[in-house]
Amino acid sequence: MKHQLTITTEPIDEPALLRERRASAGMGAVIYFLGVVRETEDEKKIAAIEYEAFQKMVEHQFHLLFGQMEKRWPIESVRLVHRVGLVKVNEPSLWVEVIAPHRGEAFAACQWLIGEMKRVVPIWKKPVPA
Amino acid sequence: MHISIHFYSYFKDLAGCAETSEDILEGSRLADVLKTIFRRFPKLAAMEKSMLVAVGVDYQPRDYILKNGDEISLFPPVQGG
Repeated sequence: MKHQLTITTEPIDEPALLRERRASAGMGAVIYFLGVVRETEDEKKIAAIEYEAFQKMVEHQFHLLFGQMEKRWPIESVRLVHRVGLVKVNEPSLWVEVIAPHRGEAFAACQWLIGEMKRVVPIWKKPVPA
Repeated sequence: MHISIHFYSYFKDLAGCAETSEDILEGSRLADVLKTIFRRFPKLAAMEKSMLVAVGVDYQPRDYILKNGDEISLFPPVQGG
């Protein structure tokens, strides 16, 4: 399974990510998920979220998760981009793409990866009031 | 043995610093160091139940035996995405 992890302070460049997509002829499912900063956090209006990461551990934990994904599903590739630093309302903070032979495993693996990320990958958010 | 302790997210505010260090006895466990840390930084003690603890880049149980130079990280539940 190919994997690509990007932790960046730069805005997520979706068109560039889509241009770089590579899927072999046996792949019938390409799905991607975009996580976007909402305008409210705990029912309060916010202007942005400041993301903090323990970078070295983030990379290690994501690679452990990719390893587990590979054992559970026949995934051809996964690409994940997570922004850190200040992310304004309406801007994406997370982009995940999973390519697999069938949609069932692609959706399941993507859902699982995001769930596990929220459990073990050391990234925190601090809302910035509007 | 000498170890360092790093705080992340709002744990930095509760501790009043981003990192500190401790000299510990050979054979000390993570739980022993946490007791010392909670005495030094009482506001962190209230977070014990939800606190996540890593040594280096891996999560470790409280009975983990520390080695000289270990880097311990203490932080609240993670919130990526």
